[in-house]
Amino acid sequence: MKRILPVFFIFSVFITGGYWSAYSNIGSIIYFYNPETNINNFATLKTAFDTYLVNHGGYYFQPFDDRKNFEAVIREKKGDIYLLSSWHLKALQQKNVPLKIALVGTSKGNTMQRKVLSTKKDIANVAMLKNTVVAGAGSQEYIHSVLKQILGKEQEALLKDIKILIVPKDIDAIMAVGFGMATAAISAESSLDKLAMINPNQFRELHGLGFSEKDYLLVAATLKKPEQQEAQLLEVLRKMSETDAGEENLKLLGIDGWRALQ
Amino acid sequence: MKCFNNRRAPYKRLEPTMKIIDFCKVLILLSAFLVSAGFAQSSKVLIVNSDNAVFRYETIATEFKKVLQQNAYQWTEFNLNSHADAEAELKQLIQQENPALIYCIGTKAYSLARNYAYNKKLLFSAAINWRRLDIGEGTYGVANELSSAQEISLLRYFFPTIKNIGLLYNDKFSREYVETIKKDALALGINIINQPINDAQEISEALNELLPKIEMFWIISDPVVLSSKASVQKIFQSAQQQKKPVYAYSDVFIEQGAVLAISADLATIGRQSASLALMMDKDKVPGGTVQSPAGSTVTLNKCALDALQLGFNQDALDSVNKIVGCDK
Repeated sequence: MKRILPVFFIFSVFITGGYWSAYSNIGSIIYFYNPETNINNFATLKTAFDTYLVNHGGYYFQPFDDRKNFEAVIREKKGDIYLLSSWHLKALQQKNVPLKIALVGTSKGNTMQRKVLSTKKDIANVAMLKNTVVAGAGSQEYIHSVLKQILGKEQEALLKDIKILIVPKDIDAIMAVGFGMATAAISAESSLDKLAMINPNQFRELHGLGFSEKDYLLVAATLKKPEQQEAQLLEVLRKMSETDAGEENLKLLGIDGWRALQ
Repeated sequence: MKCFNNRRAPYKRLEPTMKIIDFCKVLILLSAFLVSAGFAQSSKVLIVNSDNAVFRYETIATEFKKVLQQNAYQWTEFNLNSHADAEAELKQLIQQENPALIYCIGTKAYSLARNYAYNKKLLFSAAINWRRLDIGEGTYGVANELSSAQEISLLRYFFPTIKNIGLLYNDKFSREYVETIKKDALALGINIINQPINDAQEISEALNELLPKIEMFWIISDPVVLSSKASVQKIFQSAQQQKKPVYAYSDVFIEQGAVLAISADLATIGRQSASLALMMDKDKVPGGTVQSPAGSTVTLNKCALDALQLGFNQDALDSVNKIVGCDK
């Protein structure tokens, strides 16, 4: 009996410890929302990231297509890691949400991007955009905000005479200009490189009328200094690009790696 | 002062004329104001939906209404499927409401509205084969399908090295479309090898001849090529035997084994139509009567790609809506 009791005690500690450890991991979720794209790929993202994360520590991924719901989760402090655009992060920080960047997404070695207002070359200046359609991928609020920044104070009045057409992705927005469905497009500069590759004729017809300020690509943020479990999850995220499956998942988000922000 | 009086003298002489001119100016300004603000606020759009129980139509209608709401426009909705005598009721509604613009979703809605409101501004979308519609002046639309140039550009995004693509078609139904595809593809450095067929019985033989010459087979929406399930099965069986990937215009072919499907995004069709409606209301419509859809939906079949050991541009994954794996 004397021998059985300590063995039973150790066994129960191991079992319950393991249980609680596994249980607490279920609570570790990466929440994702990106107002810079409008592509409905949430089911694919969920499946791809869950499959990867469950096998790398039992974590989960929860994408959102609605800003309010995503922000509600942040307010409830449900998640450990939040993936969001730097534009959205700044907007939340202005509302005193204490989000801090832990990792920044990279694409071909870059952590920053700027948005371009592209038109065909016969549109010589932004004043010519009055009563036209500007295509862009992302939320209406986001595209409006980028357009406002690009137009600047002098041309801000034009905004009321511009119709914004929301399309699923950058490449749709740029091609909408080439194929005549829109007069201008807001897109990432890197998306113009893609157009140059897939349709060089159309690329040559376009020029940039204005540029936004540079900003980070997607960021991974936390509400407080990462504790052990959050640090582990961030490490899993950071190392995703080291495996084929992980890198493929990151490319679904338009990035190819993560870099720690010192 | 003298100078001032001198200026006024001729003014006095022209006073009655100037009053009329001033009055006209006020009238013009007033009407301009009404058009730019007041009219837009109160003008009514009539949405005629062929069948709001059809997911496709309803998605388009929902997005259309969201944009109207954002721009403080009013609308009335009429769903043909909800009325026993839809034709008569629609005619009466058009007379009663006198809408500034009628937005027709689906061919049936457009055909009826065109009959009863030929002198009104008409806008359509989700119409099958819009080129066969009777389109008058003041009518605009958003097509159902992406233009072939859009499809080829996106196809090239995923498979940048593919140079020879083959397709089957019937000359009577698809000659013009195939000519456009060939022209658009050539501009992007892709060679389209097309094989005409007269009926579905010729599919096997045509494929035997075509498949060895190409790197990818393209399924286009041709009623003879896609006349039966057996025809579709034959295409996929032959392509599989000769290890050729199949690209399709719709994701319904993904289950059969197409590696990639690119089609128009429904929500964007709704938003694009709304954008056109707002421009039509202000008589500021850009050139062209019928626009191609501006948004695309992409489905990638990883299972079929892996089976063929076919690589693709991984950077294009940021444009994929749905990835289909072997476990479905």
